[in-house]
Amino acid sequence: MDWKPFFGLPLWFWLFVLPSLLTIFCAVFKRIAAVLFKPVWAILNKLYDLSGVIAALFMITILLIIVAQMLVRWFGLQFPGSTDYAGYAMAATSFFALAHALNRGSHIRVSILLNLNQHTRFWLEAFALFIASLTATYFARFAIKANFFSEMLNDRTQGLDQVPERLLTVVKMFGASPARWGEMWANSGTDWVYTPIWLPQIAMSFGSVLLAIALWDNLTRLVVHGSSAIKTETVE
Amino acid sequence: MTEFYATAIFLFVLFALLGCSVWIGLALMGVAWVGMELFTVRPAGDAMITTIWTSSSSWTLTALPMFIWMGEILYRTRLSEDMFRGLAPWMRWMPGGLLHTNIAGCTIFAAVSGSSAATLTTVGKMSIPELRSRGYPEYMIVGTLAGAATLGLMIPPSLTLIVYGVTINESITKLFMAGIIPGLILAALFMTYIMGWHFFKPGQRPEPEPAMSFSEMLSESRFLIPVLLLVFTVIGSMYFGWATATEAAAVGVLGALALAAMQRSLNWSTFTQSLMGATRTSAMIALILMGAAFLSLAMGFTGLPRALAAWIESMELSPIVLIVALTVFYIILGMFLDGISSVVLTMAIVEPMIRQAGIDVIWFGIFIVVVVEMAQVTPPIGFNLFVLQGMTQHEISYIAKTAIPMVGLMILMVVILVVWPEIATWLPDNIRQGPR
Repeated sequence: MDWKPFFGLPLWFWLFVLPSLLTIFCAVFKRIAAVLFKPVWAILNKLYDLSGVIAALFMITILLIIVAQMLVRWFGLQFPGSTDYAGYAMAATSFFALAHALNRGSHIRVSILLNLNQHTRFWLEAFALFIASLTATYFARFAIKANFFSEMLNDRTQGLDQVPERLLTVVKMFGASPARWGEMWANSGTDWVYTPIWLPQIAMSFGSVLLAIALWDNLTRLVVHGSSAIKTETVE
Repeated sequence: MTEFYATAIFLFVLFALLGCSVWIGLALMGVAWVGMELFTVRPAGDAMITTIWTSSSSWTLTALPMFIWMGEILYRTRLSEDMFRGLAPWMRWMPGGLLHTNIAGCTIFAAVSGSSAATLTTVGKMSIPELRSRGYPEYMIVGTLAGAATLGLMIPPSLTLIVYGVTINESITKLFMAGIIPGLILAALFMTYIMGWHFFKPGQRPEPEPAMSFSEMLSESRFLIPVLLLVFTVIGSMYFGWATATEAAAVGVLGALALAAMQRSLNWSTFTQSLMGATRTSAMIALILMGAAFLSLAMGFTGLPRALAAWIESMELSPIVLIVALTVFYIILGMFLDGISSVVLTMAIVEPMIRQAGIDVIWFGIFIVVVVEMAQVTPPIGFNLFVLQGMTQHEISYIAKTAIPMVGLMILMVVILVVWPEIATWLPDNIRQGPR
């Protein structure tokens, strides 16, 4: 059931075979691919950096939550669920930054064989990117599945953290047809409810999908230009 | 027999993926997936996401980005100049002279930064040109710096210790406290080595520094006050139980921002650079932790860790032999992997083993840090070597050679830890209890 058909073809075709075919297309028709994909690459670059900025904002959020927690304790008050909020922000920081970190060469790997010579470097890099793309795509596919399941099973937090129900409705609007928006708002209360796990898990779905896209993206750039967009960090 | 095949397959796939330069976090996920599909009937994908989500949304882990951020802020201040100016008056009269600023500078910066690369660049960007211009021999400058920078991993805050603590579910505060005394002893060993050089190679000594009055010395050391204040706030708040490790990290970030503002090196560009740099580094470590969490789960299903622990027990090794074997194992692993990766990669297997053998896990944390520290300065992959190569333009092989005495001292440190385990376990047993 994990790979049920989608538009008449099994899901794994769309996730794994189609991008692979696209890569082969890029390798064969380099010129056409370079023209076709140029705007796509430009948009994706912006998207990775934007996602990195979102991650950075969550990093500041972690700091604010921890500071608030300390202040509140000094005044002898309670900040229910502070550790859970910080945990969600931690996950968001990590996941949103995954693709951005990839393109800036922050993710580490064993590069002994990679640095042997220029000819093998291309093939090894392509192979590494291909395996990494497959893994990341698999990860992203199940992250999304888990996200939907959390929503379906109405999985709630184990902690004391709460969010306003209206916020949930706003986020849910993105996943529903406009025809149902009125009904959703009519059913939405004004209270705070225990955090449903699907809300923070959106960061995982988004981040893992973007990482998978970034890896396929770099693979196509590699076969077209002979080098990927991953900038190796130069040591100052 | 299944265990044997499982081990062989895990190792083969792991080395194949890592060798093909697949990013470490994703390689670990790949290995774990192969293991799940071959040896269990559990749905691999669902189990994977549950584990990854739990491990990456953990509260304890938040100490990691905070300490990284703190180091990134300080790296972009004038701290390295200030530390050199403040330390030099005190080091000049010691046998070995200003070479000691390498060790003392690294020790102090290690107490506000969790990574050895950050320690190395911060201290080195000032001390290398200064020491060169005073005529100290190149191999001593480079070697002592390469060795001393590894203190960044040992003296709290330490990213490796945070990752270790999160992986085996132990108190990070306790691990941090455990690292202080061994870290200082290691620094003392490095300093002894410099003094030894001073007495045994008198021909290589540079011109002695001009005399300086005591009041001048005192006034120069005012440059050390802000950073020492920061060190005592961060470590002190943990020691006295005022704050958890995460809270101390947040205080550290605020303190680092204040220090940068005082020095007028805080502006929009340094702020965003430090923030983005910290975000990327923390995402890098988070991806490795995700892969490692899934791999631990997969290995747990195969029963491999339990079988290995039972096997080790059946051999009735003494803990000493086990420690020697693990030292050799980690040194070999460290030749190819960085410290954090080798810790998370092996903990699923090693943790049951050491618990079985009755080894204190806090002590083991310090032991493993010393051993992976060595890996930072041993070729072919030693992160400090790469950083130093960028800074000094020397060949990796030259830098590695200059660092050999330091590696010897670290091995001596392992022996000291084994003979007197109390130097690691005494302080964590005696901290004040505070908020959890």
